[in-house]
Order: sequence, then C-alpha cells, then structure tokens
Amino acid sequence: MAADRKKLEADLTEFVRSRGARHAAATPSTDLLESGLLDSLLLMDLIFHIEERYGVRFDSDQVNPSNFRTIEDIVSFVQNQLSMPQGQSD
Amino acid sequence: MKWPLVERPIPNAQVPLYNRFYLHASPASQVDPVLVWGTEIDADALQAYLHERNRGGRILITPAHALIRATALALEQFPEMNVRLVGRRIYPFRDVNIRMAFFHRRNSEMDLILIEHANLKSVERIGLEIWQRMLQAGRGEGGRDRDLARFRRIPAFWFRQIIRLYGFLDRHLRLPTLGRLDGTRSGCMMLNDLSSPGAPPMRIYKPTRFPDRSDSFNLTLGPMESKVVARSDGFVAINVMPLFLRADHRLVDAQQVGRFLGAVRELLSHPEKLAGGYSEQSDIDRIVDEKHKKQ
Repeated sequence: MAADRKKLEADLTEFVRSRGARHAAATPSTDLLESGLLDSLLLMDLIFHIEERYGVRFDSDQVNPSNFRTIEDIVSFVQNQLSMPQGQSD
Repeated sequence: MKWPLVERPIPNAQVPLYNRFYLHASPASQVDPVLVWGTEIDADALQAYLHERNRGGRILITPAHALIRATALALEQFPEMNVRLVGRRIYPFRDVNIRMAFFHRRNSEMDLILIEHANLKSVERIGLEIWQRMLQAGRGEGGRDRDLARFRRIPAFWFRQIIRLYGFLDRHLRLPTLGRLDGTRSGCMMLNDLSSPGAPPMRIYKPTRFPDRSDSFNLTLGPMESKVVARSDGFVAINVMPLFLRADHRLVDAQQVGRFLGAVRELLSHPEKLAGGYSEQSDIDRIVDEKHKKQ
C-alpha cells in the first residue's frame, strides 16, 4: 500500500512541530541535522511513529544521514520501503 | 561468564597515600570522597565535525557517540582511571568499556548500554551499536528487554532482598558478570548525554552513584549554549557545552581528574583527533560497503 506523499509529509511535519517551540517552524525541507532539531529522542519517536502507523521497519544501518536529513528524505525512504515487495529491505 | 576486573588488586603500597587516607577512613568520620569538576567544550568545533561526518556518513552520529569515543581514548591514555573499588581494594578493568544511559522508549525509563572495547571502535561503529540497541529496546525485542521484564515482575519484598544481597556481594567480592542485566557493570565510566535541544543551561550537575558502587566515574555532557568571549580581534559569541565529571577520591585525586577531563575536552574540542590513531574505515564501513555491492 503506497502512502500518499503529501499526507505523509504533512503527518511527519506535524509530528516534528509538536515537539516544542524550537521545532515549530520546521518545514518538510528543513535540514534537521544542520539545524540541530533532530536528537536521538526525536529520531526514535519518529522511527516508531512511522513503524506503528505505516508498518515500515528500520534497520540500524538505515539510521543514516541521507534518510533523516529532511522530512522530505524520510518520506522518500518510507515510500521506497512501502513500494518494495514484502520481505525485502533497502 | 566474564571477569571484567583483573585477578589481582593494585598493591596497597602502590596506592597513593592520600587516596588510602580516604579509602580507609572510618564510616563514622562521614567523609565525602566525591569530587566534581565541571568544564566546557567548544561546541562549534564538535558541531562542525558532526555536520561534516553526517554529510557523507553512512550512520547518523550524535554528540553522545563522539563523547563515548573521546572518553574511551582518554581512558586508554590514563589507565589509572579505568578502575573500580571492591571492598577497600582497587581493581583495574581488563578492557576499556563505556556504559551510557539511554531512554528506553518502550518502558519509558532509563536503561544502560555497554559499549565494549570502545577505544577500538570508530565513532560510526559506536553509533551503529547504539542505534541497534535503541531500536531493539523500542520494540522490546532484545534479550535484555526480556530479562528486564522478568526482573520487573519480582515482588517488592524479594526485589529489595535481591538488590541488597547482590549489592553486598558486589561491593565486597570481585564478581564475574553472568548475563545481560549485570553485564553493564563492566565499565568504570558512566556517561550521560543531557544535551538535547531545548534543555535548560546546565550550571552544575552532580549525578548519584550506583548503590553497588560499580561506576567509579560519571561524565555528563550538558546542552549547548552561547557565550561571549574576548578574542584578540574583539568580543565574539561562541557555543559551548558543559562537561561534568564526578570522581571518587579513593581512586584518584583532583590533579588526575583534571588531566583526564582535559584530555576528553581536548578530543571533543578538536574532534578530528577522535580517530585516535585507528582507521576510521571501520567494520561498519565494510558491512555497509558489502551490502551496497550486493545491490
């Protein structure tokens, strides 16, 4: 089941923004790493939010900068995983 | 079963007299052997390093991973700090292992992770191990998570008896580690990364020590904050992060604490030194390379 990109983006942006005042201005293209918004707590919450809501499971070697730099990157990764046949992972 | 401590304690004659003064003090004297030293690191240099590594890296790395690596290299440099107290005897650890607190998402509580041989691992490899454990903990899938769940079910009365008995034995005997629960005792240094964005500035931090006395030292990294400093070309704003070390005066003195903390500070303020003579092209790089080749 392919999730709608816009809906996914809006959901994850809202999730990041709800973290507090510093995160309120986050947009799908905000660099989460350079801006210092992404710490390990938010990262884990994001991963398990995605896992529980969209059924996408992360391996430890997928916790890499190219998958988590921006919300757009996270969405691309999730969509990529959803489009793969079950049992395969990137 | 593993034996984290070497067989023989440091001979009494080799323990500095001042440490022995604290070591053999009567409990009635109510002596406080806790030393705390706070300093700060150049956070701009650390951030620049992390941004650089995260631009092309294959594992996301954070200040916590750099802190583990820096502490392990400093312990390698100052092996007299890689010790713990058993009774009134000081035993060195066999390896440079670092334990770190992390938030166990599934249980909504703190848990510990032990990074074994942290002095021989790259920052990326340390990062990979930590993400692996955090994902496992979040899913409740690890062996340690099952053990923790069993431990939690023990009735309060028996929980207290077990903790008291184990604590007594561990304080007085050189015990081996038997499983996943007590395995985290295998390192002298406990690290706290409290540098989450949004945390208030940290002026002082005095962590507790474990009742079983297994952690000899505690090193805590606080949140980043701006500070104005005078430079030759005028006043400039820089970012700094506080670093607090809690030590035990029975094991070390303030001069040793200062040198050790200075070494950690130097490594974190000049993070290019974190490679420490070892190749950063680590196992993780090879694993990821192989995976990419297969695709």
